[in-house]
Amino acid sequence: MSVQDFALAAEVAARRRWSATAALLALVVLLLVISLGVGPVRLSPLAVIEALFGGGSDVAQVIVREIRLPRTILAFAIGGILGLSGAALQGLLRNPLASPSLFGAPQSAAFGAVLVIALGLADVRSYALPVAAIIAAFGSVFALLAIAGRNAGLLILILAGLAISSFAGAATALVMNLSSNPFVVLEIAFWLLGSLEDRSFQHVALALPFIVAGAAILLSQASAFRALTLGEEAAQSLGVDVGRLRLFVITGVALGVGGAVAVTGSIGFIGLVAPHLMRPLIGHDPARLLVPSAFTGSALLLAADIAVRIIPSTSDIKVGVLTSIIGVPFFLYLIMRERRALGGGVA
Amino acid sequence: MMRRLAALAAAAWLICCGAAFAAGPRIVSMNVCSDQLVLSLADPDQILGLSRFSRDAWQSWAAEKARNYPRLSGGAEDVLPLKPDLVVVSLFDKRATRDLLKAHGLHLVEFTVPRTLDEVRDQIRAMGDVLQHPDRAKAEIARLDAAIARARAEASTHHYRVLPVERRGFVSGDSSLISSLLTATGLTNAAGELGLGAGGFASLEAIVKLRPDFILVSEAGDRAEDEGRAFLLHPALERFYPESRRIVLPERLTVCGGVMLADALDRLTEELRRVTK
Repeated sequence: MSVQDFALAAEVAARRRWSATAALLALVVLLLVISLGVGPVRLSPLAVIEALFGGGSDVAQVIVREIRLPRTILAFAIGGILGLSGAALQGLLRNPLASPSLFGAPQSAAFGAVLVIALGLADVRSYALPVAAIIAAFGSVFALLAIAGRNAGLLILILAGLAISSFAGAATALVMNLSSNPFVVLEIAFWLLGSLEDRSFQHVALALPFIVAGAAILLSQASAFRALTLGEEAAQSLGVDVGRLRLFVITGVALGVGGAVAVTGSIGFIGLVAPHLMRPLIGHDPARLLVPSAFTGSALLLAADIAVRIIPSTSDIKVGVLTSIIGVPFFLYLIMRERRALGGGVA
Repeated sequence: MMRRLAALAAAAWLICCGAAFAAGPRIVSMNVCSDQLVLSLADPDQILGLSRFSRDAWQSWAAEKARNYPRLSGGAEDVLPLKPDLVVVSLFDKRATRDLLKAHGLHLVEFTVPRTLDEVRDQIRAMGDVLQHPDRAKAEIARLDAAIARARAEASTHHYRVLPVERRGFVSGDSSLISSLLTATGLTNAAGELGLGAGGFASLEAIVKLRPDFILVSEAGDRAEDEGRAFLLHPALERFYPESRRIVLPERLTVCGGVMLADALDRLTEELRRVTK
């Protein structure tokens, strides 16, 4: 391959990346608009737009601006941070099966939040909830990476992740039993399924600062992920402090996932799926994968949240249930694809 | 039907062992709703034990009074040694426990959960018969009817549409006790307009669109101890239904159908006065 050929190939790849990203962005915008237009009360597209900008009847205004808008913003932001966290973890561990939910981060964050709810320590709309969720998520990811060690193989990571999520689940059940609020079991059972229904701007204010901070931390490490693809030692020789990078990623994931879980409950598998959907289009460079994975996560969660409002059912379907129902078969497919690595590469 | 069952059980008891106790049967109540009926109709020395939740002020209107009596575990174990003449149970209590008590020769009187004011009157009367204090039952029914009349005088001129909303947006349907309270006072349960005549969950959007005159909730205040309660404090709902458009009826007044409904109705009257001012 000559130098020109190489440059041409690189240009084609770059063009494909840009067109893929642009198409993705258009899809996200479309889904944002649909998300504002869909709900139990039928409003015409014109009425929705009018209400969004402060016109129309006050009922339509309240429905669009105070019920649907916060929900849409949360779906966008939470899907985005989940996709980004997945891409960052996969970059850090150079492992396509890494994702927040397989590592027990959302389950642990849920435990933190449940502790606050069940013990009646604070209003569910106070910052105590995301803070508790973030601390628990940080603890779980930190523990996982500490247990699994630096060059852990898939098997060890997944086993440790399984153990941590089971532990978080058991701890959550225990806290439910100890609660004095008679509704707590039902409330938490619902909440663990993950839902964006009837959230308000109070919830947006609760989650968004942490999600933005988490995203900023993860995005700032993009070049380190790229260096890491050459191997840990090569990365170190390029000036990447791998220990610090790990800490940054754990903090970023914990902030993002913790903030998200605190307002929606656990929504799984978006972090796993999003980077995989983007790899064929964007390539395997983990630095370039971050932003498209985030948008894919947004698109996935927006689409899932639109679907739960459209699918006819007697009681509302929880969005977390839908993402898991789609995500788990995908995970199984990934395991099948990685079978050889899993079977042979017990590190 | 209910009343006949209870009367039958009482009659059976009278035939077998009534003569031994001139002061009326000594009883155990196994359910928080029957606790409250027993507490308001029985003599103190008739009450041997009350249900596990009898002292829960959140569920029971008579929680304070219940503190004077033993609280039971809810199982059969601590009922048997008390050797009550009658055990009052709800058909919602554990079947295994009921069967065990029956197998040990105890007389059970079963009460259902009333859905209408007529059924409530029947139950009060039935409990009066069981406890051998029919005069007290009659007085309680009269108190209930007077409270209905007072509430009616306040409400019936306006025909307000009221939507009873609970946590997570659960709306009580037409066949609920709360709905029969509203109807008895001349108010309309707006659940039917939402297509929730049988009760069910209403979305925030649908409630905002419907715009009933008032919503009826069980709690005032601004604290959301869980997401279910946060539903009722959502800014969209608070905008159209601030405190001045919320009728507050504490759960302990409405969760059981019994003599406390007179208090519930008086509270409803007061609340109507407050919100229509």
